[in-house]
Amino acid sequence: MNLSSLTMLLAESAAVMLAAPLVVGTVHLVKARFQNRRGASIVQPYWALASLLRKEMTVPEHSSWVFRFVPYVVLATTIVLAVVVPSAGIGAWPAAASNIFLVAALATLGSVFLALGGMDTGSTFGNMGANREMTLVALAEPALLIVLATLAFFAGSANLDGIVAFFAAAPWRASMLMALPTLLALLLVVLAENARYPVDNPATHLELTMVHEAMVLEYSGPYLAALEYASALRLTAFGSLFMNIVFPFGIATVGTGVEMLAVGVLSLVLKLGFFALLIGSLESLLVKMRFYRMQEYFTLAFLIAFAGAVLAFAHTF
Amino acid sequence: MIASLVTISFAFLAAGALLAFVPSRTDATHRVTYGAFAFAGVAALFAAAWSLAAPQTLGALPMTPAFFFGIIGAGTLLASIYAVGYLPLYRDTYALPWLAAAFAVFIIGMEAVVLAPSVLLFLVSWEVMSVAAYFLVIADSSESSLHAGLVYLIMTQIGFAAIASGLLLLADGAPFATWPMVAQTASHLSPPELAIAFVLLLIGFGSKAGLVPFHQWLPHAHPQAPSHASALLSGVMLKVALFGFLVSLSFFPSIPLPLAALVIALGLLSAFFGALHAAVEDDLKRLLAWSSIENMGLIFSALGVVLAVAAMPSSPLSAAVAAGAAVFVVLHTLNHFLFKSGLFFAAGTIAAKTHTRDLDALGGLAARWPFFSGVVLALSLSAAALPPLGTFFGEWVYLQSLALGFAAPMPLAVVALVMLGTIGLVGGLSIFAFSKLFSTAFLGRARSARAENPGTLSPSLIIPPLVGAVALMGSSLLAFPLLSSIGAASARSIFSDTTIAPGAAMNAWLVSGLLVAALGIVFLGRRALVSARGVRVTGTWDCGAPLSPRMEQTATGFAAPIRFFFRAIVLARKEFIVEPVVASNPWIAERQLLWSVASFWERFFYQPISALVLRAARTMRSLQSGVVQLYLLFMLVALILVLVIAL
Amino acid sequence: MFSMITKILSTGSLPEPVSLHERGEEPIGKSLQAAIKTLYGGRSLRIRHVDAGSTNAEECELTALGNAYYDVERFGISFVASPRHADILTVSGPVTRNMAHALKTAYELMPSPKVVVAIGDGAITGGIWKDAYAVAGPVDAIIPVDAVIPGDPPSPGDILSGLLSIIAAARRA
Repeated sequence: MNLSSLTMLLAESAAVMLAAPLVVGTVHLVKARFQNRRGASIVQPYWALASLLRKEMTVPEHSSWVFRFVPYVVLATTIVLAVVVPSAGIGAWPAAASNIFLVAALATLGSVFLALGGMDTGSTFGNMGANREMTLVALAEPALLIVLATLAFFAGSANLDGIVAFFAAAPWRASMLMALPTLLALLLVVLAENARYPVDNPATHLELTMVHEAMVLEYSGPYLAALEYASALRLTAFGSLFMNIVFPFGIATVGTGVEMLAVGVLSLVLKLGFFALLIGSLESLLVKMRFYRMQEYFTLAFLIAFAGAVLAFAHTF
Repeated sequence: MIASLVTISFAFLAAGALLAFVPSRTDATHRVTYGAFAFAGVAALFAAAWSLAAPQTLGALPMTPAFFFGIIGAGTLLASIYAVGYLPLYRDTYALPWLAAAFAVFIIGMEAVVLAPSVLLFLVSWEVMSVAAYFLVIADSSESSLHAGLVYLIMTQIGFAAIASGLLLLADGAPFATWPMVAQTASHLSPPELAIAFVLLLIGFGSKAGLVPFHQWLPHAHPQAPSHASALLSGVMLKVALFGFLVSLSFFPSIPLPLAALVIALGLLSAFFGALHAAVEDDLKRLLAWSSIENMGLIFSALGVVLAVAAMPSSPLSAAVAAGAAVFVVLHTLNHFLFKSGLFFAAGTIAAKTHTRDLDALGGLAARWPFFSGVVLALSLSAAALPPLGTFFGEWVYLQSLALGFAAPMPLAVVALVMLGTIGLVGGLSIFAFSKLFSTAFLGRARSARAENPGTLSPSLIIPPLVGAVALMGSSLLAFPLLSSIGAASARSIFSDTTIAPGAAMNAWLVSGLLVAALGIVFLGRRALVSARGVRVTGTWDCGAPLSPRMEQTATGFAAPIRFFFRAIVLARKEFIVEPVVASNPWIAERQLLWSVASFWERFFYQPISALVLRAARTMRSLQSGVVQLYLLFMLVALILVLVIAL
Repeated sequence: MFSMITKILSTGSLPEPVSLHERGEEPIGKSLQAAIKTLYGGRSLRIRHVDAGSTNAEECELTALGNAYYDVERFGISFVASPRHADILTVSGPVTRNMAHALKTAYELMPSPKVVVAIGDGAITGGIWKDAYAVAGPVDAIIPVDAVIPGDPPSPGDILSGLLSIIAAARRA
């Protein structure tokens, strides 16, 4: 029996959506172990989300309909992002669904709405987080577009499925060597897009270091659950994209045998585990940069992305 | 039939302008006048639509004029509907009959520019349009309007001189030459003459379209006009400038690569400066004007790509890139008209109801006007080129074709790379600018008493921006698939993918469908998961010290990081002045924060030029001795020189 | 960086086991019981701490909860930055007049089910500042208190075992 698009689509969407809290749990665990702590169990985020769903919601009096609309949009765009990004397998979606520029725009749309939610609270924390977030989005955009377009240039295909298929087919060592600067720039962008070190501190209680946390301060109960889940899902989506390019192994394709799907899901879990290890280690070993030095970070990301693209052009001649 | 629709359009504009002077105690005259204008707009829109749908009909307009004529018609219709509810709020500020007359003449000028068959008619209509626009800019006869109007008038006359000389150069000095005759004479010109004409036309039309470095007037002039006119100035008149440039391009037998590169460079520079200044601007309408510079810059850069590809040996790849860029030009012309006029209408409404254009003094409007804020949110998302609205799809095609350009031979690939990076930054900055616009005007708490109680909105104020927002949705679902399939091998359904090159597929319906489906799932999921514990409204978390609206982030504060990161370009200056009140205690002091941003081009382009001119004038002044004999000597020298040159 | 990694590796896991002590004296309130039941037996609890006027002794001890010896996270307990995110409100110190408003708002903003724990003698009775002119009263004079952890200040171990005992008792009841 061969794998149909629908089976694949359902299986990989389910895998990513279920795995998302696990990725966050693993990152927390890795960070705890770096501090010689035992840390919470990796299933802790599921309990946290379940508990939040059982709570009441309190909303600030000066907010408008936008505040209440934000969690839905953020979660919806993130879900779209997560299901179109290649995870356990490729080929389930029409090519247009995972177009690089569409994926970039969906990620940005989520960020913009999150920032609107922060601005609608009328609280200085939310305002500050929103303005920082929008600054980061504006500065990250050039590097993000160049990285994605360079990957598309390598693959000769502008959709993520095609890009992953290309890297899966190419000899690993050669393609990694060729794409090294681009992938490094991709990692820098992924860290920025997901509010991780050195751009943002996801575990902070101090407004000085907050971006993402400051925007969600006024959300509670199920709204907060939606936003926390969206942030976990976003990390997982970017993680599976990154890992599927860096380690393009064990990826199921529509049309192959059903057993490939099991292989695909299993390797996805391994890849995400490794990604969580990577993120957790980076967060334990790096220090956060000052916000007013962010232009240096993004200039670096841009220059690496630019160099990667020029290297790619030179390589083909 | 089409010809009579066009005639009706002109006739109703003229009739409306005359009717405006009929005295009446109620709003009847005003309503009838703008009703006539709206009807003129409908007639123009119909004429354009008919010409586009059935190009074989007798009297049908050619494709390009029809497209721009349609935009003028739609703009007139929306602006007239808007003016019905908007202008009565300003009865004391404006002389309504004269304003209506200037408005009508302005539109007549624009329509005539698009329809003009010959050089002279084109130039005359252009001048009619420009001068009428001047009267719209100075309509409230305030000090700042007069100043902005003067700058506008100077720039537009320089532009007019450049256009007139460029066109006459192409027409070999024949003012009555029709367009085919101009093309005929232009084909005999030498390459240097053509290059001079091209640069002149680029300066002329570019100065009207707000291209850097001729953009200085635009952010001052457009916001000063009443908002229904601002919408036309930014949404439509800039497109007429684009139209003029497109028409003149058709006369050139070929355009060399360096000139195409010049168009690209000017376009990108404009886009960057427009977006950056929009990101740091505090004035609601001026932010929109800066964003117009950005968008016209993007359109011109894409036009430059089309020209550059035409100047190079053709290949399937370059054809795909050019096709993508051309689709972007058309789509963005339409989309920019829709969202920019919609946003100017919205800005006018906000300014009329809260009596301020300063984003720092607004805030909290979403709670007062929920429906209207939804409309503005859609328009802002569209201006930021985010899905699922029309603008995103235009930019998508453009970005996608630039990404295809990576596969071009080496130097070109790097050009495509630089363009993609620049447009990425421009896109990021415009997202910043419009999230700032929406969130500081509509979200949080009101930062002034006027914004606290802005009153209610009449339908005439809501419908035009609403139409813009709905049309932008339509533009993504219909215009994008239709336009991008023009020239495709087989007729396709609008539901299927648009493939501008192998591997680069786009589908508007899929994107919208996915977003709607995901939103639906999330809403359903909420119903299923969340127990009915309910929502409790409480105060905002204030850490114990009660919050006031003065603690909120203003637009100035919002843009602080961007001002800091780009301080070398926006020439941001911040100074903290501390003056001790008591000499013995340094802590008791008066503190004052001064900050400013300035125009890079004004300081490094215009001021050096004006300093040079002034210095030259000062040197010349020493000749003015007042001695009659010396003047006679000058005359003699001049006479001899003329004779020498003439012989 | 490498010396840091070697140090981390050579140190190994540090957290110490925590012994629960029986809480005979005070009964577990209905609302506390219900709250813990609703929140899946307290598997994930988020704490918002308010210092209502303490000497900062309690805060020093609470900070120690996050270190490698006490590692409060292994029990699913974490500190959060906003009362809207919190399940438990911990309060220390006698409530001063200036902090009474802040404490009330924090309580008001917390979404139910919520639990208030007074930490330290100051919070429970007012301690040595009882009836002082700047003190509005102990915590329960301002907001309803569900449980207390006595001590002046309670050690991190006391706080941890106190919290866990409260949760365990509420779960059993």
